[in-house]
Amino acid sequence: MTIKPPEHGEKEPVTGQYIGVEIDGVNQRVYYEERGPEDGIPLICQHTAGNHGQEWRHILADDEITEDFRVIAYDLPHHGKSLPPTTQDWWEEDYTLTEEKFAETIVSIADALDLEDPVYMGSSIGGNVVLQLGDWHPDRFRALIGLECGVRSPGYYLDWFHHPEVNIAEISAYSCWGLMAPHGPEETRRETMHLYEQGSTGLFRGDLFYYSVDHDYRGQLDQVNPECPVYVMNGEYDFATDPADAREVAEGIGDQATAIEMKNIGHFPMCENPDLFLKYLKPVLDDIKGEDVDVPDEMSPETVGVDLPGATADD
Amino acid sequence: MATTEFASHEWWESYRETVNEDQEMKVRGHDNFDENFYVEIGNSMFLIEMDGGEVENVVPEPGVNDVWSFGVEGSREAWEEFVQEYPPAHNNEIIASDYRTAVKGEDGHLELKGNNKKIWQNFRPFQRALDLMRETQQS
Repeated sequence: MTIKPPEHGEKEPVTGQYIGVEIDGVNQRVYYEERGPEDGIPLICQHTAGNHGQEWRHILADDEITEDFRVIAYDLPHHGKSLPPTTQDWWEEDYTLTEEKFAETIVSIADALDLEDPVYMGSSIGGNVVLQLGDWHPDRFRALIGLECGVRSPGYYLDWFHHPEVNIAEISAYSCWGLMAPHGPEETRRETMHLYEQGSTGLFRGDLFYYSVDHDYRGQLDQVNPECPVYVMNGEYDFATDPADAREVAEGIGDQATAIEMKNIGHFPMCENPDLFLKYLKPVLDDIKGEDVDVPDEMSPETVGVDLPGATADD
Repeated sequence: MATTEFASHEWWESYRETVNEDQEMKVRGHDNFDENFYVEIGNSMFLIEMDGGEVENVVPEPGVNDVWSFGVEGSREAWEEFVQEYPPAHNNEIIASDYRTAVKGEDGHLELKGNNKKIWQNFRPFQRALDLMRETQQS
């Protein structure tokens, strides 16, 4: 189990650090956590809208992945421990994430960390942005893994997410409750909600500008031609970007892209059901390592050997 | 699995007990949930009158003297999927079901109706109250 807390006095082998990252001419103080060999394959992990890198804590805790991969989970500027820059009057404007700023931020973090041929993996906003990364930075990554990725994902840029008469913490979290499959452990699904409740006002909505407004690759997928494999992995219970959306993205990109349907999991695979997601992720990471594996286009608890009550029967 | 028929008088009595005994409805502001909401199951409408996070009354076929802020509408089939122990994708929670209706334009899902501001102001306890329909059905 990855979700068991450490024993009293036991230190987890995950370390946290801050690094300066220049993004769009502003020096940002970016927090990241990492685990794995210094010479391992870098695997950078992008959190979802309004959240932060702790969504990846169960992946960082996994002994098997961190044997070969240097797993790095960062907080975007303004998120988590990456506080807004003290040099800017950031409170005088709405926080807004654009596709240009998002892609530049990710590449700048990889550059600041001096990562050679990193693997990129992200979910939701982090899944969608594999299209911009593959389009604008085709030679920067060893592989792109887009979780819960779509050509577009409308409908979530709501003014209620910064309304003074609405509890922003609660609705940022619990508007996402239904994005998760009911099969996951309640403790990890509740933890995902708890992480969401920590976001500041406007952050969720600002990220959702990218998610639901700025990100739109309809008719433009032929521009996405990265010099690396692309894996598009969408959960059965993700109502916003479902497995059909993954197939649309992969078909639009072409031969270097693979769509994977993940049964009985939703929009937050790495934190809603980390044990099941780690099983789904394994063949993808093995493929990236160059092992001779078949990456299935559909995975279920049964096919990866996980006993999950109520799991959807295989077709 | 409930021994009474879904949405029958006895079932709603059981629902009221389930909500009023639910520990989560007593904490973290759920206990300030006072907005009445309705549930429309096919052609049948039920008004759930809330007071302090508890169900005060369930009124079948409410009329002009009744007051509510918002509600959920859907076919009986969609509701029967919603209350399953492991509901199928996109009818598993109200926000999922409403998204597939409102944004994707699909049929066969539930739909939120009413005062949007009050929906979002009360969303967490409202969603919990709807989820307790599942617990009622599975008890």
